[in-house]
Amino acid sequence: MPNMREIRERIGSIQQILKITNAMYLMSSSKLKKARTSLECTEPYFYKLQSTIESVLEHTPHTRQLYFDRRADIPEDKRKKGYIVITGDKGLCGSYNHNILKYTDQKLDEAADLDNCYLFVMGQVGRMYYQRRINSGKKASVDGEFLYTTQNPTLYRAREIAELVLEKFEKHELDEVYLIYTDMINSNLQEPRTLRLLPFERKHFGKAADGTLKKLPKASFMPSPEEVMNYLIPQYAKGIIYGAMVEAFCCEQQSRMTAMDAATTSAKDMIKDLSLRYNRARQAAITQEITEVCGGAASISE
Amino acid sequence: MAKTFHLEIIATDRVFFSGEVEHLVITAIDGLLGIMAGHEPLVTSLPTGELKYLVDGVWKYAAISEGFIQVMPDSSIILADTCELPEEIDIKRAQEARERAEERLRQKQSIKEYYETQAALNRAMNRLKISQKHFK
Repeated sequence: MPNMREIRERIGSIQQILKITNAMYLMSSSKLKKARTSLECTEPYFYKLQSTIESVLEHTPHTRQLYFDRRADIPEDKRKKGYIVITGDKGLCGSYNHNILKYTDQKLDEAADLDNCYLFVMGQVGRMYYQRRINSGKKASVDGEFLYTTQNPTLYRAREIAELVLEKFEKHELDEVYLIYTDMINSNLQEPRTLRLLPFERKHFGKAADGTLKKLPKASFMPSPEEVMNYLIPQYAKGIIYGAMVEAFCCEQQSRMTAMDAATTSAKDMIKDLSLRYNRARQAAITQEITEVCGGAASISE
Repeated sequence: MAKTFHLEIIATDRVFFSGEVEHLVITAIDGLLGIMAGHEPLVTSLPTGELKYLVDGVWKYAAISEGFIQVMPDSSIILADTCELPEEIDIKRAQEARERAEERLRQKQSIKEYYETQAALNRAMNRLKISQKHFK
């Protein structure tokens, strides 16, 4: 026979947690609404930017521009790879953080030499995770001064990050830069994705309408391809980082909302189950008491 | 009516304009540039500045901050950080931004900070200029 007081206490504690998860659900759903609108506003820019750059690169003539430098003289395993990883600031959002960190780990495992990997982690959860990893001996250096939150992405923050990364690339502190973020495919499906930011690669051939490869016509660049790229690439980097931030923030809110909704539902289920057991126990106790009283009365009257 | 081409202006926070225009004038890095239908393929970047386009014989103006343009014979795409109509510009905010930037320019800063502040000042001045010019 389960103890009545024990069950009552458990119901009480579940009710407390239910209040928290429910409040978090409400908050994340209102934040999600905001994040959704900003995502909807930014998405056309984000996708158009990618497709336009792709077509620009198809028409770019040969250039010795800085950001096209593929560092071909450095062997593959000696190249310094930078990863900008966008994670959440807080936990309790289902598998959102877990997925992006697992994906990043996979990318790091693929890299030839962990000592040449540099991580730029946005969001507290990811920072903690990689700090702990360093302490346990697995190396991949994390930039300690790279402190950016993922809450409410702004263009200003994206600009700062882009400038930092481009500067490191110019100084040969990084040879390749990747951006890892969570992409929102639809509201139920989110997937971690990698985008290569640097170096840029010029395309020599494109697919023609009939599927054959043909040499692409070159567009003119005013005043010169180098000069235009000097402006265009920081612009692109900034836009891409901003878009990824918006996308990731929306994903985080979405998965938090889903997780908290699930938690609230299961808390309600548990309370229902427990109160049934509580009532049964109470009924049993009452029945037993009545039996005892009746038994006592019977023995007296005899 | 003159021959038109398709123009898309997309800012980070919205699709600013999408439609047929007859003539487009932009400020590129090395000066003003007029674009009409059938222009040769061209890519150039746009600093903070002014932009105007002709729709049905009426010139429309806009303030643009940093972006780039890809021109094709029958269509053009402008991708920019922000793009605003003169009447949408928040004069008060721009003025505050200008004062803030001027204040910061008086302080000692690193070269990088100096450039950033200058760019911010530039954006604020551009907004003020365009809103004064076209919207009174």
